Amino acid sequence: MGEERAGRAGMMENFSALFGGAEPPPPAAATALGFGPGKPGGAGAGPPPAVAPPQTAEDAARKAAAASGPFYLMRELPGNMELTGSTNLITHYNLEHSYNKFCGKKVKEKLSNFLPDLPGMIDLPGSHDNSSLRSLIEKPPICSSSFNPITGTMLTGFRLHAGPLPEQCRLMHIQPPKKKNKHKHKQSRTQDPVPPETPSDSDHKKKKKKKEEDPERKRKKKEKKKKKNRHSPEHPGVGSSQASSSSSLR
Amino acid sequence: MAEKFDSLEEQLEKFVENIRQLGIIVSDFQPSSQAGLNQKLNFMVTGLQDIDKCRQQLHDISVPLEVFEYIDQGRNPQLYTKECLERALAKNEQVKGKIDTMKFAITFLNAVENPLGHPGTDSLSVGILSCISCFYSCL
Repeated sequence: MGEERAGRAGMMENFSALFGGAEPPPPAAATALGFGPGKPGGAGAGPPPAVAPPQTAEDAARKAAAASGPFYLMRELPGNMELTGSTNLITHYNLEHSYNKFCGKKVKEKLSNFLPDLPGMIDLPGSHDNSSLRSLIEKPPICSSSFNPITGTMLTGFRLHAGPLPEQCRLMHIQPPKKKNKHKHKQSRTQDPVPPETPSDSDHKKKKKKKEEDPERKRKKKEKKKKKNRHSPEHPGVGSSQASSSSSLR
Repeated sequence: MAEKFDSLEEQLEKFVENIRQLGIIVSDFQPSSQAGLNQKLNFMVTGLQDIDKCRQQLHDISVPLEVFEYIDQGRNPQLYTKECLERALAKNEQVKGKIDTMKFAITFLNAVENPLGHPGTDSLSVGILSCISCFYSCL
């Protein structure tokens, strides 16, 4: 009984030491009844403490745990750190701009939105055509350490048959349909396979298309104006034709 | 640091464009295109050499493997960055909540006085303090 009371008093002493604040000394009555600090040899203390048995590793561990306090799982408190979870770590590491950029705006889901200029169907999973990056890391291809140019004899192996490719191999030219922009930019949809063209011709064709469209618009405008003017009485062509017809009758 | 990425990006764009033009030549091959094909093949080798030279400047750059999973699924890798930031913010808020709760508990217990006049000697305070010690041990 006295040992329990001594233990409780020890708990209180350790608690106050942890959380600071000087506590008043226990009253004399408490020490007389055995409520003292539990130190051996105290005035009016209870039965003397038992003799300690020979120490082993387990006993040392138990003593270390006991020295930490009455709370079994309690360890030494961590030291005061300047950076804790109570501070906003995003502002601390100057990541506000990045956060607003990625989390403020809506990030598009598809890979083609991140790499719009990359040809081919890149939105499909890599496992379909065995082109995944994961497989490249797990099973890297066995090759030499240096890149050597292809010699003339090696290039003979790249002689191809003339003619178009079969349709199965034409997938590279198919690109995912691009959404129309709200602005009036002329973008042609590439749902159908693009006919083969040399890169030098593509620029000329684009310029030709623009040139063709402009005169077509002008022609349409002219035709509309002619139609309007024909029906109006102020059109000189109508009057002159009537005058010429009347003069011929005379 | 951005210059290293710019040069690599430029080399990769040239390489991809060269491959695209190679594909156009091959899609409807003519015998007169053989010389152009050979030239593109050699450009491919030189392009790989140039990309390999850029590798030395980027030996200290690490890319998380999880980004490759996003790319293999055909998803935008920026979504990975977005999810990392969101998870970091959520964890930050969670830890801040724990710290604020513990601070409140400590200040509350310091202000509690039992009828005997000794602070924190009642069983309720002892129980709460044991929970706090368990929390610190879990940290």
